[in-house]
Amino acid sequence: MTVESSWSRRRVLGTALAAAASIAAVPGCGGTGAGSDNRIRAAFPTGGSGESLDPHISSLFVDQARAKALFDTLVGYDSEMRSVPRLAVSWEPDPTGTRWLIRLRRARFHDGRPVTAKDVLYSYRRIAEAATASPARPYFTEVDFTASRARSATELELVLRAPNFEFASAWGAPGAEIIPAGTTKFRAPVGSGPFQLASFQPGQSTVVKKFDGYWAGAPNPAEVEFVSINEEAARVSALLSGQVHYANDVSANSASQLHREQRTGVLAAKHGTMQAVAFKIDRRPFSDPRVLRAVLLGVDRQQLLDVALSGQGQLGNDLFGKGLKYYPDALPQRRRDVDRARSLLREAGAERLTFELNTSAVDPYFESAASLIAEQLGELGIRVSPRVGPSETYFSDIESSGVAGHTRTSSLPIATFLGQRMRGGADINNYTGYQSDGFDSLFDRALRTQDESRRAELLADAQRLIRDDSGMLVWGFSNWNVGISSELRGMRAAPPNSLHWARFDHASLG
Amino acid sequence: MSRVARLAVAVLQIAAVLAAVFTLTAVLPGDTAIVIAGEHATDEQVAALRERLQLDRPAHERFLDWTGGLLHGDFGTSLLTGEPVADQLARGVATTALLTILTLTLVIPLALGIGMASGMRQGSRTDRALSSVAVLLNSVPEFALGLLLIGLLCVQAGWLPATAAGLSGWSLASEPAVLVLPVAVLVSKQLCALARQVRIGVAEATCAEYAIHARLLGLPERTVLARHVLPNAVRPAVQQLARTVDGLLGGVVVVEALFALPGLGSAFVDAVKARDLPAVQGYALVFAATTVAINLLADLAARRLVPQREMVA
Repeated sequence: MTVESSWSRRRVLGTALAAAASIAAVPGCGGTGAGSDNRIRAAFPTGGSGESLDPHISSLFVDQARAKALFDTLVGYDSEMRSVPRLAVSWEPDPTGTRWLIRLRRARFHDGRPVTAKDVLYSYRRIAEAATASPARPYFTEVDFTASRARSATELELVLRAPNFEFASAWGAPGAEIIPAGTTKFRAPVGSGPFQLASFQPGQSTVVKKFDGYWAGAPNPAEVEFVSINEEAARVSALLSGQVHYANDVSANSASQLHREQRTGVLAAKHGTMQAVAFKIDRRPFSDPRVLRAVLLGVDRQQLLDVALSGQGQLGNDLFGKGLKYYPDALPQRRRDVDRARSLLREAGAERLTFELNTSAVDPYFESAASLIAEQLGELGIRVSPRVGPSETYFSDIESSGVAGHTRTSSLPIATFLGQRMRGGADINNYTGYQSDGFDSLFDRALRTQDESRRAELLADAQRLIRDDSGMLVWGFSNWNVGISSELRGMRAAPPNSLHWARFDHASLG
Repeated sequence: MSRVARLAVAVLQIAAVLAAVFTLTAVLPGDTAIVIAGEHATDEQVAALRERLQLDRPAHERFLDWTGGLLHGDFGTSLLTGEPVADQLARGVATTALLTILTLTLVIPLALGIGMASGMRQGSRTDRALSSVAVLLNSVPEFALGLLLIGLLCVQAGWLPATAAGLSGWSLASEPAVLVLPVAVLVSKQLCALARQVRIGVAEATCAEYAIHARLLGLPERTVLARHVLPNAVRPAVQQLARTVDGLLGGVVVVEALFALPGLGSAFVDAVKARDLPAVQGYALVFAATTVAINLLADLAARRLVPQREMVA
């Protein structure tokens, strides 16, 4: 399979749109515009009529964006995924790392009630319940809710069953929003975010209006409308024609087109998404460390970045979290070494290795990367057959079946990533079957260590281990691209999950 | 075949479609629990959801339950939203009906006009030009044609809105500009086959023995055309029209996605993606029943248009 043949329909047609747009010499006037009535219109892919405004079960980016408008979290993540104050103004663990004292700011819910420590306890308890099925649940299962208590309206004590000096990073996770105590219904939810709900039509449109009582000051726009446009090409054309001001998640190809147009621009967050291949090391052929090593050395990461990501991204070094706090920058870049890879394959008696590489259209870069990896490893005599799986259940499918598959992860605090994907006993998205007592011990020691620089050293050691052994080939980091209208001001390029991504309260039109 | 027998066959056809759709959706990898739980769910969360949604019951039991409910007019409950499937169908039907009706309102007279103009002057420049345009439009996929038109008419010229984002159902009719391109794409795609069928029919019927005989009897050309040529020419086109409706139901899935129209097509795709079996069955039933009913009506109409003895073989 050649690289050219792997061009997806969407990519080809995206180019067709770009070509069509460039045919006419005179720029258009913007069609039936998004309006200049101080309502920002933002286009997102949505989950159809199954959408919910329950922030604790949010799984799509539109859910996160709406949750950010309607609710608040105790902390937010800056661009390096460090926790910064939001509803919590300060926090400190005791010397054992099991007892956290959190002080809340004076904030109000949309109905005028104050946000109190009891609301935080209620929210976290609800998230930790299995029945809620919250993606943030793993962060709160170690909280002892019988021992945790509200010291006063604005002081909260959270008690953990095991020490964790990185616990504060859990409070900014998607799905960890604070709701008023006793909330069970979410058709017209009340939050403490910068906007309050005006209307909600699942799968079509959600309108929020500004909340003048917001603790950080009233937002700039009077209203924000989240509209559902699932097709990426349709989001781009809606933006180009002036129907919307913001188009979330556009491909590198469309981003180039939006850059060229005067009426539009792109917010490109670097290191937005880790692009990787997970090799299952608990089964043949990658249970042989020599075969795994050969594959890691056989791949040309620079070519993958240049071709699959059209150069719009960063080079990977087989570790998650480039650019984030605790990332070990000092490690040398892993480069292709064909001779060494061949000799490792010979040693392992795997010169005629063949395997299927799972891939899917769930991410715009997976399929072209799979073709290129097949070509690169083909030069070593390895026969790789890309196998395209259905998007909807792709990640669940590759967790249980196959020997290798493309995977990706948006920005998360590094300790969170390691705890969820690499720590033994964690059963979330451990796509490689990695289990290591050595890693677990280093990671647990890091969480128990109060001194931050010592903690950073331990986490760097733990990451050195997984770089060689865990079966993750991190070949790059794709930019997270958001298309915006030139009218829209005050938005910042930020990776998803971080505080400034899809933050409309500071935005304005003009 | 008697009318009762035809009706029985139609019911069997619908039942077969439903059984096939259920089986195919059931054998797709994953289920609704995995979709709802999301990318980062634990096995425990997925298992809890599976139990709550009763997905741990055998597939054939769930199918029989759903079919039993259908006999009492109950389309079942969506696994994803927990709301009645009938309510979801009602929400999407207006958008799709509006698109389909508008498209047919334009396709039928256009196809008749183009087909007649070409068929009566077979081989002429007009015939060649009209046929070429129709074939060209038919050969461009809906998705590509839609993108091209959006690029030219919405992005560059700024004449029309690129999507119907935020609008739904009959409220679309209040902003007719958003329907221009979706309908244009559907018309372009469906026009060719129908116009060509009319053209062939007209060309054949013009030279048929009964037409020649009618002319020999001294009937004016206009009468020959209206009484003998057109009914015979249109009969196969009526059946082609039924196929056009089938094609339209496929086309709306693409067009609804491209123009962000919340109709039955996009909801059907969402339901399949979510492995929401009761909803998938509901949409499949509507699509299958519409197809079968339209084909039945086309058969009946074709029989009424021309008595059997005068039909062109």
